[in-house]
Amino acid sequence: MKAIVDCNSFYCSCERLFRPDLQHKPVVVLSNNDGCIVSRSDEAKAAGVDMAAPYFESKPLIQKHNISVFSSNYNLYGDLSWRVMETLRMLLGDASKVEVYSVDEAFIDLGDVSEEKLYDTAMNIRLTVEQWTGISVSIGVAPTKTLAKLANYLAKKNKAATQCVYVLANRQQQVTAMKQTRVGNVWGVGYSYAQKLVNLGITSAWELSTMSEEWAYANMGGVTGARLIRELNGLPSREMEKPLVNKKMIATTRMFGQPVTDLNDIKEAIATYISRAAEKLRRQHSAAKVISVFIVPREQNYEVSFRRGATVSSYVTLPAATSSTSELIKPAVQLVESLYEQGKVYKKAGVMLAGLEPDESIQGNLFSAGPQKYQRLLMGMMDNINFSMRDDVLKFAASGLARNWKMRQELRSKRYTTRWEELYEVS
Amino acid sequence: MEGDYFNGTSYRGTKKFSQQDVKTADATGFGAAADDYMERGIDLNEQLIRNKPATFFMRVRGEAMTGAGIYDGDTIIVDRSIKAESGKVVVAVLNGEMFIRRLEKTFNKLRLLSENNKHATIEVDASCDSLGIWGVVTYCIHLV
Repeated sequence: MKAIVDCNSFYCSCERLFRPDLQHKPVVVLSNNDGCIVSRSDEAKAAGVDMAAPYFESKPLIQKHNISVFSSNYNLYGDLSWRVMETLRMLLGDASKVEVYSVDEAFIDLGDVSEEKLYDTAMNIRLTVEQWTGISVSIGVAPTKTLAKLANYLAKKNKAATQCVYVLANRQQQVTAMKQTRVGNVWGVGYSYAQKLVNLGITSAWELSTMSEEWAYANMGGVTGARLIRELNGLPSREMEKPLVNKKMIATTRMFGQPVTDLNDIKEAIATYISRAAEKLRRQHSAAKVISVFIVPREQNYEVSFRRGATVSSYVTLPAATSSTSELIKPAVQLVESLYEQGKVYKKAGVMLAGLEPDESIQGNLFSAGPQKYQRLLMGMMDNINFSMRDDVLKFAASGLARNWKMRQELRSKRYTTRWEELYEVS
Repeated sequence: MEGDYFNGTSYRGTKKFSQQDVKTADATGFGAAADDYMERGIDLNEQLIRNKPATFFMRVRGEAMTGAGIYDGDTIIVDRSIKAESGKVVVAVLNGEMFIRRLEKTFNKLRLLSENNKHATIEVDASCDSLGIWGVVTYCIHLV
């Protein structure tokens, strides 16, 4: 049996852990740069706040219902996410039985727990995670990942009746559950497929499950569709994946805190993003051969349309893969120069490192061994100092000092779990 | 991660210890004898943190617990996985506010006692749900 453990309104739960006065009160958390709403407590949902609604549009509703608003506090969420996942690993006794699926979701392998014990086992996990970390979760249990997701959807839909735990152990339960789930709510069925299926007369998950694999192969994206049908029929076709698979691409993109027009500001931003991406690159012991940079201008008639301007991007392939920040910054900044247009207003930029290969392989190059070795030592030291001192004590001059473009986070709570100087004060 | 634990709550942060950590491992003769007696050095985390994902740090403000040796500005270690038994120092939540107090349970009452006569005892019915326990205080770190 498999289960999905999904944190309830995760970012809001993290904020509430250190703000018990906000328990049972409406809370929302904003995206990077305070752009739009990315997490809503149940009370905020009930008040009619939409997911992904722009913050400025929701302000009247927020004031009317006295909703508490927070900027994203990724340091806090990241730490609490680790705590939730670590608790699961400890409860299951084996790290390979926990597949971290996103910051607030994990698939777990319950092995061969007998049918009558499934509910109690899942409930015990739910209560332990909540007790230890303060984060409430919902758990869906079923023979396949897709059905577990469906069970979890039903658990969340009716929290009072399910107590946030829903088990679909036998076929009869699965069929009943699928009949009351619309096809668009099935994991892996996107918006456009949902439209297509409804047009074909397939409205519930159950109706989809009765289709043949051949049909799915032809109409639902080949093997992915066929797997989906098998999973709905209780045949595991998506196995647990290994945790911490090295990424094939590393990206860092951000909205600017305020619109940027100056080339130097954009160069600084790109140099900073490259530094961050290179840090991630070294953390997984990779080196990159391809650097791609993009910048997003604002449309001319921005005030009227709010539409996004056309992204401009470009990439460069390096003669040899590298993990050194200095070797990555230079070509990236050159790319910015070629993309930048005087007079335009930019709102967002990003970098992507691709063509990744294991960093060790570079050492095989006898002729460049000397400088490469020192670069690696230097980068190792820099990462070590930045990691222990925080806030990028050491950075390349290209990343700038003023940082006019930096992210806006006006309503961020304290970093209670990662900074000594921001600990919760109790009296 | 190494896997000889189950549902355990012991600290597992720095149990890694390799031959490279043995300072005299490459020595021959007399120095090598110490190799057999090599142990991991003392690690404060191991003593103070029993269950890492459930352990939080907080800063104490005020004099409410001075009688228990917990002073203004001290750092406390709070473990959410420990049962809040009568007599333990806890971080309690009452009407949306957090307090550090000693918990006392009787058959029908819950009391939050300060260890300083300037603060009144808070008393609620055992069935009262406006009182919650955030976590149990396990250690206090005090600068001397």
